Amino acid sequence: MSEPTLSIRPPPGPLPLVIGVGNDHRGDDRSGLEVARALRPRLEGKARVEECVSGEIGLLDIWRDADRVLVVDAVRSGAPSGTVHRLEAGDAALLGFRGATSTHGLSLGEAVALAAGLGCLPRQLVVYGIEAENVEMGVGLTPSVARGVEEAIARIQAELESDPTAAFPTRNPAHA
Amino acid sequence: MTERTIHVDYLARVEGEGALKVRIRDNRVEEVQLKIFEPPRFFEAFLRGRSYLEAPDITARICGICPVAYQMSSCHAMERALGMKVDGPIRELRRLLYCGEWIESHVLHVYLLHAPDFLGYPDAIQMAKDYPEAVQHGLALKKVGNSLMTLLGGREIHPINVRIGGFYRAPTVEELRAFRPELEGALPLAEEMVHFAADLDFPDIEEDYEFVSLRPEKEYPMNEGDVVSNRGVKVPQDRWEDVFEEVQVPHSNALQSVRKGAGSYLVGPLSRYALNRDHLTPRADQLARSVGLPDIVRNPYKSIVVRGIETVYAIEEALRLIEHYHRPERSWVEPPPVTKTVTGAATTEAPRGILFHRYRIGAGGLIEDAKIVAPTSQNQKRIEDDLWHLVERSLALDEATLTDACERAIRNHDPCISCATHFLQLDLERQ
Repeated sequence: MSEPTLSIRPPPGPLPLVIGVGNDHRGDDRSGLEVARALRPRLEGKARVEECVSGEIGLLDIWRDADRVLVVDAVRSGAPSGTVHRLEAGDAALLGFRGATSTHGLSLGEAVALAAGLGCLPRQLVVYGIEAENVEMGVGLTPSVARGVEEAIARIQAELESDPTAAFPTRNPAHA
Repeated sequence: MTERTIHVDYLARVEGEGALKVRIRDNRVEEVQLKIFEPPRFFEAFLRGRSYLEAPDITARICGICPVAYQMSSCHAMERALGMKVDGPIRELRRLLYCGEWIESHVLHVYLLHAPDFLGYPDAIQMAKDYPEAVQHGLALKKVGNSLMTLLGGREIHPINVRIGGFYRAPTVEELRAFRPELEGALPLAEEMVHFAADLDFPDIEEDYEFVSLRPEKEYPMNEGDVVSNRGVKVPQDRWEDVFEEVQVPHSNALQSVRKGAGSYLVGPLSRYALNRDHLTPRADQLARSVGLPDIVRNPYKSIVVRGIETVYAIEEALRLIEHYHRPERSWVEPPPVTKTVTGAATTEAPRGILFHRYRIGAGGLIEDAKIVAPTSQNQKRIEDDLWHLVERSLALDEATLTDACERAIRNHDPCISCATHFLQLDLERQ
């Protein structure tokens, strides 16, 4: 039997896909969403921009047919708050990242590992992690994280505009 | 004298954050505490002074897994307060939306959170290496549930289309019919999930539960029916507080619920199934029989099979609702003006069990008081009882094995600890 398919999402295009992950109501956990919203008008015609609010496990669905994906999410790795990390799917450090909040049992690193195990990673995946400080209930970013959001916006835009079509220098090990 | 203490500081594969403390002295269990240290929730206080129309959207934020439950309980409570009657296609659409939430929540738990316990894996990532098909099926099925929520709710998490009185927009017949192939494709996957679950090895344990759920006259419970139990409780769903009460315990931010004069009780799939098995569809009923599920399941580990049966039911029910759907002329019933203080309460069946909401609305429509009792806080004391019995049976186990066993026993009930925390009244705690 064939796997159920969906007609709700827009059809995949050749454009790179930027996915902001987070929860608007958990303090700094909204940082990934803020980046996606700021990038949407700036990257019009250059990239698709999606928001993932259903927990990191939702990524496996959103990037299903995409080839080149940049994910931006709040993370907690112990670095100073507002630090912007850039990792590729094969980086071991990724699995060490705990999600900023507990969402459905899977962190960002775990979602990437699960996708790798199932063979459904995008061909090229880069993760931007913004170190969170406060993920209590409530709306609003810590000032250091707000600066991290600005940095991530600039770096992702530069990354996509400097070489919008080229492959990343390294590939995911699963596809090597 | 020997004393053993087991601490589990972080409970994996449980939504939210919780911890467990067990104290054993001279080979006797002295204390079992399921702790909840997620930041206290201010939702009940936050709702005061807001328009009653905002309650479905605000309370949906309490949980990323069961937002529909919060929307449904708040809508029904407000509508009861205002004497509104919502039926026909709008009622059916609400049921359809709930089907989507049950599917996505149950499938997530069965394949990704619970199955690793039975198959000996620390998590779904490790399990996926040996059981890629099971995990793929889980993701595909979960997606069908999420898509149904998107179709009706506008988006999958925190649906934005639900309002007091109905929906901002009702889907067309064509829109719903176009979704049938997804559901038809999901049905065999869900049946396979039941067989997958039923073939797992289960500890041979039964607990003497007081099962509590809604029980409507003619259907498996979601939005309607009285609150009933297998020990004689039967009250209208807005009278939950006549029978149950919340008590504060020092070790948890969440309030624990008990039946007045009795004690702990269980809500969720085992209870719905025990009290409403006769309302299953023939196909779900037959499937339950074919995998040897008794009419009442007292083995908490077998909740994984019952979640599978409920998933099959929800898919079949969704197909039935779509088949009979007629688009309503108006997608919502207009609420009357609020001219005096009114109170209303409702209980609906979240995937994890009954969710109670009560509101007092002042003249003009601002919320004056809110009370929300989540299924996990209702189950918390019962989970501690399960753990107590488990530890008593398992004193010979070494520390690590016993700790794992305790974590498994907690996950049997799919606790959503994010939902269960309330604002703790500090002045009361000092007494």
